Amino acid sequence: MAFNSHRDFFEVLEKEGELARVKKEVDWDGEAGAIGRKTYESSGPAILFEKIKDYPEGYRISNGTTGTWGRVALSMEMSRNTPVRNIYAEYEKRVSVSIPPKILKKGDAPCKENIMLGDEVDLYQFPMPMIHEGDGGRYVGTWDVVINKDPETNWQNWGMYRFMAHTKNWLTGWPQTTSQFAFIMKKSYLPYNKPMPVAIVLGADPLSHIIATAGIKPYENEAEYVGGLRGQAVELVQCETSDLMVPAHAEIVIEGEVMPDQIAPDGPFGEYPGYRSGTMCAGVAVKVKAVTYRSKPIVTMIALGTPPDDSSIAASLTAAVAMKKGLLRHGVPVTDVYVPPEGVTHLIVIGVTKGGTETAKKVLDYFTLRRIMTNKHIVVDADVDVFNMAEVLHCFATRCHPGRGIHYEWYEGRSNSLTPFYNIEERKKLKGCSVAFDSTWPPEWEKEVVPIKASFKTIFGKEMIDKVNNNWDSYGIKL
Amino acid sequence: MKEWQTFLRRFSDMREGRRELFIKDLTPGKAKYDTKHVIATVARVKDGLKDAEVIWLCGESGEKSKQPWYISIEQILEEEWVPGKPWEDTLEATEKNEKQRGLK
Repeated sequence: MAFNSHRDFFEVLEKEGELARVKKEVDWDGEAGAIGRKTYESSGPAILFEKIKDYPEGYRISNGTTGTWGRVALSMEMSRNTPVRNIYAEYEKRVSVSIPPKILKKGDAPCKENIMLGDEVDLYQFPMPMIHEGDGGRYVGTWDVVINKDPETNWQNWGMYRFMAHTKNWLTGWPQTTSQFAFIMKKSYLPYNKPMPVAIVLGADPLSHIIATAGIKPYENEAEYVGGLRGQAVELVQCETSDLMVPAHAEIVIEGEVMPDQIAPDGPFGEYPGYRSGTMCAGVAVKVKAVTYRSKPIVTMIALGTPPDDSSIAASLTAAVAMKKGLLRHGVPVTDVYVPPEGVTHLIVIGVTKGGTETAKKVLDYFTLRRIMTNKHIVVDADVDVFNMAEVLHCFATRCHPGRGIHYEWYEGRSNSLTPFYNIEERKKLKGCSVAFDSTWPPEWEKEVVPIKASFKTIFGKEMIDKVNNNWDSYGIKL
Repeated sequence: MKEWQTFLRRFSDMREGRRELFIKDLTPGKAKYDTKHVIATVARVKDGLKDAEVIWLCGESGEKSKQPWYISIEQILEEEWVPGKPWEDTLEATEKNEKQRGLK
């Protein structure tokens, strides 16, 4: 049985020793974020803060629910020791199946246990954390599912974007201008000066959040992918103030409208690349019209920052599988793609069956065609295990020719302005540069001149390998 | 003395005088960091400011100024926003609004 809710998943995390319940009172103003960050940086457990300063008993904050590969595996009902390669393979298999969502009646949806409407809305009734000291506000939307809809096709888009409390009934946020969220707003609402309904969902089942990070193509419904990943339909319910459909078992659903002609400050915020850079005051403003929530609600926080955390782990999985499909469609002979969490989707490793300049340029072409979230791409031969960064680094250091093997391309209007090394001008114009490091042997080299990797498995013949392996115990060398 | 904070790209962007600003309330409690959209006079020193309160400047990376400025709030505006299109620069839009109000 797939997990229906954030709460169901906690039971498994607890049984597996992957959950810390913090019963001591913790301040929402920096303390919860600092504890979350320190825990990520020590590969610690998911956290449920059970007593929050200024808030009634039962109002809680969670952090890091799927912040390690082990917890991602558990969320997919796999063993927590499953190797990353196998998690990737299972995810790839499951998301190829689409299962439409099941619609619940409002009375059957736990997220409707309590409803604040219109003038009753007061976001300060929820323990929204000030995650890092110096952030521009209290970010209630970090590990969220943000839903908006294309009115012409009824496509309901899910994404994960930051949102902070501006006042008790206004949020400001920063879905990137190149996001699908922005695509719908710019296409169907802004030209008509119409507000766009939006739902910001906290504490849905774990796989809904993971899919919200995925780069799924426009006009495809993420909810159906969640069904495939869960092996079971995700249950949705209609919002109170719009026709958006939201996960019925969510902890908190904030319903509002993105204003087409009103703006207010957002940011800065310590973001997923691991820095609080200058991206601020360039987002959207949301007038909140309703909040529906479960009793004893849990605000889902991720104390974002240097990897690993939920964001870098989830994006590693969802982005890599999407990139592999896209590269294959683009004619690149891909074996595997790995997005190391440490590279925060800035650095991608691509394994290919046939390398060389042509392949590297095709890779670069694929990654720079549309909106660009990545910038460094290491192309390696099929003999390199892309999931093993020690092998990747060795390959890059020894096979990438500094003069002939580095291909780069500049562009404007579609870069990721969160990239820390871009200057102010580049961020403003969405100007950027991407590079492919061709770390493959030139395909035109004759086989007999290609250097042979001097490793146990590659420089000795089968006879010698078998002999050494078979006699290993007799050598008295413990490994 | 009540304390506030406001975000700018650079500390040097702050000018003394009558300003239109978004400021955040630093009073401890559930509503800490609530935003007010105000017309106010700001200055480096509190002398001469009526009912002066502290305002901390924060740069675009969240860095807080070492020394506070002072603020005298003249009016809390009803609008929680400034006119502008999504993804426009809010600081520039506020400055534009400020000019239209004749504050600059």
